[in-house]
Amino acid sequence: MERFLLKNIDSPDSAGIGEYLRTGGYASLKKAFGMEPADIIAEVKAAGLRGRGGAGFPTGMKWDFASRDPKFPKYLICNADEGEPGTFKDRPILEKNPHLLIEGMVISAYALKSERGYIYLRGEYPHARAVLDKAIAEAYEAGFLGGDVAGSGFRFDLSVHQGAGAYICGEETALIDSIEGRRGQPRIKPPFPVNVGAWGKPTVVNNVETLANIPLIVSMGAGRYSEIGNPECPGPKLFSVSCCVERPGVYELPMGIPLREIIYEHAGGVRGGRELKAVIPGGISTPVLTPDVLDCPMDFVNLPKRGSMLGSGAVMVFDDTVCLVRVCWRAMRFFEHESCGKCTPCREGTGWMRNILERMEGGFGRDGDIELLQDIARSIMGKTFCPLGDGAAGVVLGFLRNFSDEFMYHITNKKCLAESG
Amino acid sequence: MIKVTIDGRDVELEHPVTVLEAARKAGIEIPTLCYFEGLSPFGGCRLCLVEVEKLPKLQTSCTLMTADGMVVRTETEQIRAARRSMLEFLLINHPLDCPYCDKAGECELQDLVARYGPEAGRFAEGKRRHPESFDDPIIVRNMERCVLCTRCIRMCSELQASYSISVTGRGSHSFVEPFSGGRYDCEYCGNCLTVCPVGAIMSRLHRHSYRPWFVEKETETVCGFCGVGCSMVLQMRENSIIRAIPRRGVGFNEGLLCARGRFGYEYVEGGEELTTPLMRVDGELRQVSWEEALSFTARRLGEIRDEFGGGAVGAVASGRCTNEDNYMLQKLMRFVIGSNNIDSAARNYYAPAQIYLERIFGQGITANLIPGIANSDGVFVAGGDPTAINPILGLKIRAVWRSGGRVVVLGVPGGLKRFVPYELIPVPYSEEIVLSAIVGRLLERKPPGGANAALEAKLRDLRIPSDDELGSTGVSPEDVARVSEDLSSMSTPVVVIGPDMVQRRRASKSLFLLGAIAYLTNARIFLLADRPNYQGLLDMGCLPELLPGGRPVELEMFRHKAEEALGMKVPEQRGLNLFEMIDGAESGRLKALYVMGENPVFNLPDGVRVEKALGSLDLLVVQDVHLTETARLADVVLPATAWPEKEGTYTNLERRLQRVRKARRGKMASYGREDWRILADIAGRLGMTKTYQRVEDVWEEVMHVSALHTGLGYEEMDGGRALWPYYGEPLRGMEGDFTVEGLDGLPEVPAPERPYLMIERPLYHSGTFSRRSKALLAIQPGPYLKMNPELARRHGLTGGDKARISNGRGVLELEVRLDDDMPDNQVHVANTFEGFAAMRLAGFGTDPVTGALYMDDNTVRVEKVLR
Amino acid sequence: MDIMDEIRDLSRKYPDRRGALLPALYVVQKEAGWLSQEALDTVSRALNLPQATVKGVATFYAMYKHRPMGRHLIQLCTNVACMIMGAERLVDLISGRYGLEPGGTTDDGRFSLVIMECIGACDRAPAMLVDTDFHADLTADNIFEILEKYE
Ligand SMILES: Cc1cc2nc3c(=O)[nH]c(=O)nc-3n(C[C@H](O)[C@H](O)[C@H](O)COP(=O)(O)O)c2cc1C
Ligand code: SF4
Ligand code: FES
Repeated sequence: MERFLLKNIDSPDSAGIGEYLRTGGYASLKKAFGMEPADIIAEVKAAGLRGRGGAGFPTGMKWDFASRDPKFPKYLICNADEGEPGTFKDRPILEKNPHLLIEGMVISAYALKSERGYIYLRGEYPHARAVLDKAIAEAYEAGFLGGDVAGSGFRFDLSVHQGAGAYICGEETALIDSIEGRRGQPRIKPPFPVNVGAWGKPTVVNNVETLANIPLIVSMGAGRYSEIGNPECPGPKLFSVSCCVERPGVYELPMGIPLREIIYEHAGGVRGGRELKAVIPGGISTPVLTPDVLDCPMDFVNLPKRGSMLGSGAVMVFDDTVCLVRVCWRAMRFFEHESCGKCTPCREGTGWMRNILERMEGGFGRDGDIELLQDIARSIMGKTFCPLGDGAAGVVLGFLRNFSDEFMYHITNKKCLAESG
Repeated sequence: MIKVTIDGRDVELEHPVTVLEAARKAGIEIPTLCYFEGLSPFGGCRLCLVEVEKLPKLQTSCTLMTADGMVVRTETEQIRAARRSMLEFLLINHPLDCPYCDKAGECELQDLVARYGPEAGRFAEGKRRHPESFDDPIIVRNMERCVLCTRCIRMCSELQASYSISVTGRGSHSFVEPFSGGRYDCEYCGNCLTVCPVGAIMSRLHRHSYRPWFVEKETETVCGFCGVGCSMVLQMRENSIIRAIPRRGVGFNEGLLCARGRFGYEYVEGGEELTTPLMRVDGELRQVSWEEALSFTARRLGEIRDEFGGGAVGAVASGRCTNEDNYMLQKLMRFVIGSNNIDSAARNYYAPAQIYLERIFGQGITANLIPGIANSDGVFVAGGDPTAINPILGLKIRAVWRSGGRVVVLGVPGGLKRFVPYELIPVPYSEEIVLSAIVGRLLERKPPGGANAALEAKLRDLRIPSDDELGSTGVSPEDVARVSEDLSSMSTPVVVIGPDMVQRRRASKSLFLLGAIAYLTNARIFLLADRPNYQGLLDMGCLPELLPGGRPVELEMFRHKAEEALGMKVPEQRGLNLFEMIDGAESGRLKALYVMGENPVFNLPDGVRVEKALGSLDLLVVQDVHLTETARLADVVLPATAWPEKEGTYTNLERRLQRVRKARRGKMASYGREDWRILADIAGRLGMTKTYQRVEDVWEEVMHVSALHTGLGYEEMDGGRALWPYYGEPLRGMEGDFTVEGLDGLPEVPAPERPYLMIERPLYHSGTFSRRSKALLAIQPGPYLKMNPELARRHGLTGGDKARISNGRGVLELEVRLDDDMPDNQVHVANTFEGFAAMRLAGFGTDPVTGALYMDDNTVRVEKVLR
Repeated sequence: MDIMDEIRDLSRKYPDRRGALLPALYVVQKEAGWLSQEALDTVSRALNLPQATVKGVATFYAMYKHRPMGRHLIQLCTNVACMIMGAERLVDLISGRYGLEPGGTTDDGRFSLVIMECIGACDRAPAMLVDTDFHADLTADNIFEILEKYE
């Protein structure tokens, strides 16, 4: 497939504004200024773009809510927190194609009548920080940001706000708290950020990849755009493929592409020709699947039917050498570490589950541990303040649903079924 | 109208409320932990989950707003299971140390587990360990027990607005901590203790000495520290106060107290209370019997009256005593001895300011409700830090800020520092110029409307300073413009006046200017009161010129009414005020002074002179709880009971009448007698025929004598209905005949070489009572000399050094404490600690117009004490 | 520019000064590599925020340090992809060579080691940040070659 989002990133100068302009950059922006803001929103709606941050919420709808709110100013925030383990898809845009993001943000801001934007960038990406700062400076210099964007009279200011190592700040309300200088903990919803967001004002939070799709929609038009990928959730999608494959990396492919194609055609198949044991399709928070789902289309509608989710599109491939108890334990260590501490089940439950998994992995599993784990996970599921806790529970339930034998083996034999353990 | 169905019951709601509130309204109980009425919703504990039709997931009822047609279920197996799970989760890291946790018995977690919890926990791993912190003298922290409900944090930030604690760390390693991680560097309101549902934040007072169920008796009373008059409940065990707690729904303080109120009660159980009357025999105070002391006192008072006339006798009433006590002292003086020489420390500023403002605006001008402040959109404060003098009133000012209003402070903002958009700190004694400039600007923006002709006439004569003339004040014309812009943009403003605007030369002008600001902006006025019953002193007639009910003694009509009511005579001329009595004692004109619950030697300026004056009296009677500095000079000392041992009433600064109730009684109580009883006894020995059995009898007489209090019995007070204007109209309308000194001039701003000594009014202490409270001493153990680092540097001092301050009136040696917020060329000392009477070093005089005290010549030499 | 001004300058990017809190913490952390009470107090004064608030925020985020750190900060990812690709072995190697446990600092103050959750480099796992330099495709062979460049 033709690359849109990662177009040109192989060029060594891809991050510079010169290269970007030479390859047709900021043309969509000029086109957008010839449109009414409401028409842009309508176009994005018609294009069927769904958020690429994980939840898959229709972007046009979100914009519509925000633009209907009479309060001003409005804020536009790019979610570049990319904290979901296994995910590194926003990184090439941030580091190699920053002007695409900036262009996307300016168009979005114009559509939303927002004059102030922030890129919430995770602290773990210092290189991206430098690239973005430079790109923003270039865009100001070239008149694509600032008091009079491209001579249109529209004002938009943009800066990077750097996170500091908190996964939960990827959740949009926690992210807003973090920008406001608070402990990044999720807020009560409703009200939703589109009405009461940053500093109490209407705020749109969109993922990097989502915003990078906007210039594309404007230039192609909703009609042509929605021909890419699955009609129910169209467009190009970035997949980060990692772990046991020959060619891990980020692949820009049409939404809805079967999992098999991603792994075997693009990522070169399982490393060393080994047997595929398990796949996590959308980042560590999405339930693990068995190889029999390889033909499932990778999108927001089909994966849920198979008991998982598209999430951030981070495909993690595990071959038969990998100990899934250990993977599950490591995932739980992550959730325990990243639980913000606000709500009881997530704060206490993740640690408890990690404890049990740690014992089990170390050969000290007990009879009844599997049932206990399931029970704890069910006690968490659906009762947490935000989806992080649900994610943690879902991971355990996913592993136990599909690989309980391996866990059982650990308990009874005090050692691992897989070689690597 | 919103209709919802909860557990099959239809609930109708006027306004949208949360599902939890709707359920509670309908009498349906939903367990909660992080929810606390009055704090913002949090939604963290997940105990209040309910099922809502059409919503796929369980919902937290404390955060979900009701919507018309909503169908809610609160008791299903799914919900019960969820509650069990949440409680199991909460217990996994919670130590099961209930047997020695002081919270047991009133622990919400314990109660919830008993009611909704699992029978057994399945957690078999190691619990999180975190050592208990005893770094703080008052508050012990046990973060193993913390359930992270954040009620304390929300209390501290939303209601107390102190922002002294926060959750540190993240996830299961979250702990509630002050900045230091050790001692609480906070306002010690202790309101976090109220809200902590478990034993995580606990008071160290009476630690491990009782269990909640040991409380034998609770007494609802009113705090005895300041003029706000917060309600509190004293919990008693074996006749000893084990805890003072606020309670929502009791009083108007809505479950909040300040450090003094919550922790300061111990002063009455310090063991230093007087146990028997004392009399001076051969120059020394000796223990005598009550009979001996009372008959001596009555005899000597009678002799002096007979020989020199009633005018040779004076009395000092007390802002800490009840209305009944003060009324009785007034009766003894006026009606029995025949002297109008009665006054109190309210002379310092409260009484003159109140009377002066009432002259301008009519009686009751300052009678505004404290809770109402929170509804204002702006506050102007001048003359003192409300968050220290009247802390709970101060919280309402912070609430104005929290809800988007503007707070402007003239002077050092103190506890309002975080809440002011800019600082406005004039050079000492130049405030009058700044205020005149503000009024000048306001007159341009808000021309007066003609309602108060006398005031407006004076405004026309007011000299408005030019921008150049502002030069000496340290406040710029831009600042003045900003303040007046802010003031004129407020639609429901409040003007708060503190003592420092009164204790100065030309107090009338400062008060007039503040009154003018209130008038032009249509503001409500609050006068800060640093004693619980200053207003009561005025209303009970403890002033040389006013009879009970605030009626002028010199007006025949009023005098007659009072004489008729009591069947006794009153002298026609107004009496001597407090300072005139000191003068009188000095000159020999005053022969006897009866001091009740006051410590003039310590609390008045120029203590050496006061001491000498009192020493030359023929008779000094002191009636008090402790052997104070003044009592040590007395001829007779009569032990009185303290605040928790008496019944009576206080009138707070809103003019709300509230009941003080006896908590300690019986053999463990101190040996003193109630002030009014002692006085009635003496009056009886001097010829008063009326007798009183109970304190109610005294109050009934007050209702009879004071038209202000007609029909206002204890029952009305208990019902919270005893609010000014009580019944009917104010008694005195605008009089319009007030004078303002120096209206058409501008004062010279003094520029002394030595720094001014100013009296600090600390949050943790109040007068000389609090120095006997162990808890308050633990928070602030002693005096210090506060100054800014630059001033310290100029004197070769740094924090912790010992410095000597001195002038012709005395010398004090104190530890230096640096404070960046202190203005230049001032040092502050609290007038609290024994041996450190800072007031002694100030000279004083009486303002000719208002009769207020002004401090004068209060500069001091500052030197380092070399060790 | 002095640090107070630098912080106040940051706050211009936000509608209220509190927004600058996270960036301000980075600014003061740059000075000493960690946030002492004094450093937190500086931020609190520069932004006129309560001290406890500043501390609460500073301790929420893993990348702010509350103990003195070594001259160089090794931030090694051991999340799932890196774990599978051998990150844990690297931790052992580093411990062995420098006597450096996760969360610790070498006696000579040269290195501190911090275990990271995913740093978004799973395609080139295992990976780490040393200070702000990114290194990936780490192996037992190249790890010390890289680390030895940091004095
Ligand atoms: C725990 C948690 C972590 C998240 N992390 C990220 C993230 O790192 N990046 C992101 O774009 N969205 C993340 N999200 C999703 C955001 O909340 C939000 O849905 C997204 O930024 C919206 O943008 P989109 O509509 O463009 O996807 C996270 C959500 C949760 C619950
Ligand atoms: S589920 Fe609860 S504790 Fe976990 S991250 Fe979300 S709000 Fe925080
Ligand atoms: S798991 Fe280490 S970079 Fe992703």
